[in-house]
Amino acid sequence: MSKLKLLIVDDVEDNRLVLRAICRKLENFEIKEAQDGLEAVEITQDWLPDIILMDVMMPRMDGYEASKIIKNLYPQTVIIVVSAVTDLNMQKNMSEIGVDTYIHKPIEKELLLFKLQSIGSSINLRQGKLKVLSKKNALNPFNSDIRSFKIIFDITDTESMMDFGMWLFDQCAGKDVVACGRLDLIVELFYKLMRRGTKNQENLSIIVEESYEEIYITIKFENTIVLEPRMVEILNAFESEFIVQKNILCAKLKKHIEEKNSTSEMGKTTITEEIIQETVETKITKEIYIVASKEKELLRQSFTQKTSAVDYVCDIGGDILDEILDLASLDEEWKEKLTAFEEMPSDENLKKFANGVLEVYAHTINSLFEFTALAYALTSLGVFLRDKAHVIIQDPTKTRTLIMLLENLGYDLVSWRQHIFELQDTQDIHYLDSSFFSSCMQIEGIMSNKEMDDDNDMEFF
Amino acid sequence: MAKTVIIVDDSKAVVAMAELALDEMIKSGAIEFKSYLNPLKLLEALQNESENFDLLISDINMPELSGMELAKAVKSNDRYKTKPIIILTTESSNEIKMAGKEIGVTGWMVKPFSDEKLIKSIKMVLGV
Repeated sequence: MSKLKLLIVDDVEDNRLVLRAICRKLENFEIKEAQDGLEAVEITQDWLPDIILMDVMMPRMDGYEASKIIKNLYPQTVIIVVSAVTDLNMQKNMSEIGVDTYIHKPIEKELLLFKLQSIGSSINLRQGKLKVLSKKNALNPFNSDIRSFKIIFDITDTESMMDFGMWLFDQCAGKDVVACGRLDLIVELFYKLMRRGTKNQENLSIIVEESYEEIYITIKFENTIVLEPRMVEILNAFESEFIVQKNILCAKLKKHIEEKNSTSEMGKTTITEEIIQETVETKITKEIYIVASKEKELLRQSFTQKTSAVDYVCDIGGDILDEILDLASLDEEWKEKLTAFEEMPSDENLKKFANGVLEVYAHTINSLFEFTALAYALTSLGVFLRDKAHVIIQDPTKTRTLIMLLENLGYDLVSWRQHIFELQDTQDIHYLDSSFFSSCMQIEGIMSNKEMDDDNDMEFF
Repeated sequence: MAKTVIIVDDSKAVVAMAELALDEMIKSGAIEFKSYLNPLKLLEALQNESENFDLLISDINMPELSGMELAKAVKSNDRYKTKPIIILTTESSNEIKMAGKEIGVTGWMVKPFSDEKLIKSIKMVLGV
């Protein structure tokens, strides 16, 4: 399939880098950059881009002048103006010369991807190549009739895992409480697969494809997937259709929420697939269905746009009083269960902490809609502690360290709750998200005697 | 004489893990380890000169003040102008690097950090 040509025009190098990083997640785009309007016109004449992301204020020639020349010469070129300023006059002038759409700075990543996907599909449709070519490119084993664009997550490090984690929560975490349990299983499965892949330094990517009614999430490894017993257990409990074939595992999610009473009707489709488990072939037969939120847009968040605690609480305040009270009592539960584990460091008590505190905390935070990264981190840590409880308790030094770190982690959550809901003094309600996630990962590293990263993760000027 | 390393991070877990990683250096007397959970408190102590440091390691996202703002404020004081500052971050984007470079921070380190990485960077910067 010939790639769509995307030209990024911005005089600030960092902005171009950010846009390029976002757009790299899309398949079938070839990207070039221009540093100002004049260069954009020159490149357009030589290269004929399909889509242009155009900054407005630039030296030599601004975005307005450049768009005017380009639209005059090549009216089919789609121009998306990227601007930090909402100026109605400018928007009117831009519309008059044929500018197609706007993206506001700071860039909302998901929105930009969505717009590029939609425009890309529309261009391909116009050129009559969408259907045939998309069939050819389908990776998921369920359905070859997919839209031509895919979202790709290259899983290389913590950050990319978190990107995918947040995306997954956005897609699946609905207001339907029944969905929460299923979501945990999906998170746990993908988390385990991603962790193992990154630890083994294996190239792995997650490819998301869509038909009109379903989403297909495929995790692709270099080598044949070897499923650990817990993974098979999850797949057995997985209330969705899934397929494991050699080096890929694909889950199929429905885009819309099904009526609860139709659950049994939904499960009529039965699939049988070979699961490879350490050279033993196990037949797993699944029936099923799954849910993805119909209103996923509501859950989409932009972490580039900072939300202050005052604005957040003001927007959502009354609706989440119960959850806030739950969080306060969970902080107490955290201390109690941890004390119980400290007094009697048994496998059972650590599991009680993982199930009774971490898991419940993750569910409660999930229902606040905004803090999916925290929920993801808590879920992942809970899974890890449940799995490793029997090993950790064999080592008294490790057990003491774990208790100390969990105590501090609990303190961080108390402080987070106070800054957001009580003091409301932070300008960024997501200030803890990534740090908390990395702390949970680091605790796992300490407990497994594994070093976290390599030298590429630091730099001195 | 022990060099003073201050870590400022709103997360107690991060501070605890850093202290754990630096345990040997602290016990051997190579460094004196201090921590602040609130960057404003540190800034105040630095400004009234009740605190001093040989190396400051700062988180980037903190509720009261960002690590970049803290570094900028510290660097604007002649007393600390040449003192090294390392920024702790979970994302190694070019934007962050550039912003840090402009302010004059010494370097950045990505969380989660390994014990080895933390020790190595402290030794490198302090020459201990």
